[in-house]
Formats: sequence, C-alpha cells, structure tokens
Amino acid sequence: MKLFSVLGLTAVLAAGLCGTAQADQLADIKARGKLICGTLGTAEPFSFQHPQTRQIVGYDVDICQKVADALGVSLELKGIAVEARIPELLQGRVDILAANLGYTPERAQQIDFSHSYFVSQQKLLTTKDSGITTLEGLAGKKVTAIKGSSSEQGVRRLIPTAETVTFQDTSSAFLALAQDKVDAFCGSELILVKLAKQSKVPMLVIEKSLFVEPWGLGLRKGETAFKEQVNGVLSKLASSGELDTIFGKWLGEGTAFNIKRDYKVEEIKS
Amino acid sequence: MGYVFDLGSVLNGKYLDWFLIGLATTLALTVAAWCLAMAMGIILTLVRMIPFPPLGWFVALYVEYHRNVPLLVQIFVWYFGVPSLLPRPARQWINAHHGEFLLAAIALGLAAAAYVAEDIRSGIRSIPKAQYESARSIGFGYLGAMGYVVLPQALRIAVPPLINQTLLLFKNTSLAMAIGVGELTYRTREVESYTFKTFEAFAVATAIYLAISFGIMALGSWSGHRLKLETR
Repeated sequence: MKLFSVLGLTAVLAAGLCGTAQADQLADIKARGKLICGTLGTAEPFSFQHPQTRQIVGYDVDICQKVADALGVSLELKGIAVEARIPELLQGRVDILAANLGYTPERAQQIDFSHSYFVSQQKLLTTKDSGITTLEGLAGKKVTAIKGSSSEQGVRRLIPTAETVTFQDTSSAFLALAQDKVDAFCGSELILVKLAKQSKVPMLVIEKSLFVEPWGLGLRKGETAFKEQVNGVLSKLASSGELDTIFGKWLGEGTAFNIKRDYKVEEIKS
Repeated sequence: MGYVFDLGSVLNGKYLDWFLIGLATTLALTVAAWCLAMAMGIILTLVRMIPFPPLGWFVALYVEYHRNVPLLVQIFVWYFGVPSLLPRPARQWINAHHGEFLLAAIALGLAAAAYVAEDIRSGIRSIPKAQYESARSIGFGYLGAMGYVVLPQALRIAVPPLINQTLLLFKNTSLAMAIGVGELTYRTREVESYTFKTFEAFAVATAIYLAISFGIMALGSWSGHRLKLETR
C-alpha cells in the first residue's frame, strides 16, 4: 500500500514540476528582462571561476552573453552539475544551456540543439607507466569518465569491452587515474591536455581521437522562435568575426590551449 | 508541456538489467560489510571488556571516530587515502580486484562495527553481574564465562538493535556510488542519464529500497517474537 502511495506521490510531484506550460519562451524572456543560462562553472576555459574577480567567466559564458545582448535582456548564470543539465532545462529552471553540451542522438530526442558553436575532440588520457599508447590498447581495461557525460556514452559505444567507471567531477576521475584505479580517462581534449600538464604522475593523451563531437546550446523542444533567434545570433557571430575574437580570447594564442577554430557554425546533423 | 509518467521506459531490456545488476551489487555490498561489522563489533566489545584501560580508550576512540565523521568522508579516506599509504604491489592488487567494492565494504563495515559494538555492550550490561560471577565460581575462565554464559544471553537482547543497524547499513551502501561502485543508486543515475526519465528511474529505485527495508524490518519483528523478548 505504502509503495503505491510513494509511486503516486512521485507522479504528482513530476506533474507539478513539469506542468508549467509555456506559450512562447522568447516572449517570456523578453517580458522577464533576463535570460537564465545554465552553465557548469567548473570547466576551464568554457565556464569557470575567475581567480581574481570570483565571477564565472569563459567561452560558454561569452556566447550566452551575446545571445542575451541580442535579445536586449540581462544575463543570469546558473551553475549546474553535468548530469543535471538536461533535467534542469526540461523542468524550466534555465532557459538555455551553454554547458559543454555535446550532441548525441539520445539527447536530441529530449531537447533541441542550436547550431554548433564549438567542436570538441574526445580523447583518452593514460599514465605513462601503464604503457597504453593506442585506443586498441584499451580493450578490456577500466576507463573513467564524468557521470552523465557524452564521453561516458562514447566509451560504452566505441570501446564496448572496456569497463566504465564514472565519477561526479573531473577531480575525482583524475585522482582515480593518477592512483592507477582506472587505466584511462575519457574527456574533451582541452581538459585532458591541461590535466596532463598539471599532473605530478607522468601522463599522455592518446593521439587519435575516440570521436569528434559538435557542441550546441541546449534549448527546450518546440520553441521555434527562440531557436531561430539563437541560431541567428551564432551565425552572425561567425560571419562578423566576433566568434574568432571570443575563441581567441579563451582558446587561441597566448592561452594554455593555443588552438585555432577549424569548424563551421552550422546545423548539427546526426 | 505535461509530464508523462511512463515506468515502462525505464523497465525494459538494458535498463532493467542495470537495475538488477545494481540490486545484486547493493546486496553483495550489504552482506560483505555486515559480516565485517559483526566480526569487528564482537572483537571491539571483547577488547573493551579486558580490564586494561588503554585498550578501552582505543575502542572508545574507534567508536567516536566512526560515529562523528560523515560516512562519505570515511569512504573517501579508504578509497583515495589509505591505498596511497600502501606499497605499490598492494595498490596494484587492490586496483586489479575491484578495489572500489572492496574498500567501500571495508569503510561501511568498520563504521557499522562501531554501532554494533555499542549495541552488544548494551546487551552485556543488561545481564546481571551475578551471571558472570557464578560462571567464574564454577570454574569458567574469563573467555569461558563470556563465551558460554554472558554473550549468548547478551546477543539475544541485542538482536533488535542489531537488525536496526542492518537496515541502516543497507541504506548507507548507496554512498558507495561516490567512488564508482555500481550499486543500485549508481545504476539508477545511469539509467536516468541515458533516458532522462528522472522520476521513473528514482521511483523504481525507491520501490526496490523500500521492499528490501520492509523485508529487514519484518525479520526484526519476527525475531523479536521468536526470541520471546518482552516488548515495551
């Protein structure tokens, strides 16, 4: 009996939380005068705490700022955990996601993706002691990734024989690798390169990418007006050269990453 | 956008398997930690009763540490801390033999042992001192008097609180997800991150946890009847 009431309660809660019907998000945001953007706040250089100002800054934050500017509203950032990204968006707690959100077909069934504003190389980090230098060497090994990340799903899909062990955040996953609890760590190349540099244990990033993943801004399904507006902003940023400026500021020459933008801003096709 | 509550979406093929694997791991972790907790709890109790004060202080310190430090912190200490103090071959052995499960079982078991020791001690203190003295006077040594006369009676009284500890231990196993043990909560999060069906996934997990907790509670009340303990 108790069991049924628990299930019933859960259903009621679910209905209550998600029952906030929205006619047109774009109008709502403009009426409210601010855009609420969900971002990680723990992923340099995309969104992280600036050491001096303590503000959350980064590439993702700047992109969101441009969207807010184009709508003529102010920007409010909300920090969210990796695995909470999509639920937070679906439950209407944020308007848009700029949170290292890689495109996967499973996610595209739940939410809409804007045009790609970044493309990430998903690679693997191993310790030099392990002697693993190729992707083939990972068959049957333990590979870690961040819980709820596309890296986790990628490992399962592309290295089916590997055992995946997930952790809540980058630091736990990295510590597990440094202490030989796992054989490799799958993540975005930028994060891995930085970790390998900082690591006291000698590490290497395997040359070949496991997969390439376009990132989009996450939007609720069916908000066509809002989506068109966001895509318009992204295309304009690319054609006017502003995107290169923002990209250069966080990822280009003079930064720890030193990479060039070699991708187009376009619709993501699965 | 109304929310459609659809249990079927998380109870098919792959996802059902994940729940079942998670449940099996949760039960295995509970059993392993429980055995350690009982063994260690009895040892702690016996050590505490040896009339040599420093031993008593040691046990008191042990109990206070495990009762006052958050269990999640204890689990992290065992997983990320203790192995780094061990020689390299030992570390490699642990990592190669499901270290996360092993270390989680140790952390959960040792923490529960502190409570078990206290419960058994309460049981022993409820046995009149005359029982022990009579046993000694007819020729039993310390261990004999404890093992044949006092402990069997004390453990009987300690059964209900020990069942309660078992229930707490069972629920605490969910914390092991933080170090990558694939138990029920971990698998639930996994199902959730694949299907985005948050409520359904947690409804299933809640139902499973409740069913087992009720089972343990039923065992508790049945054992109370069996042992003819006075109900207050």
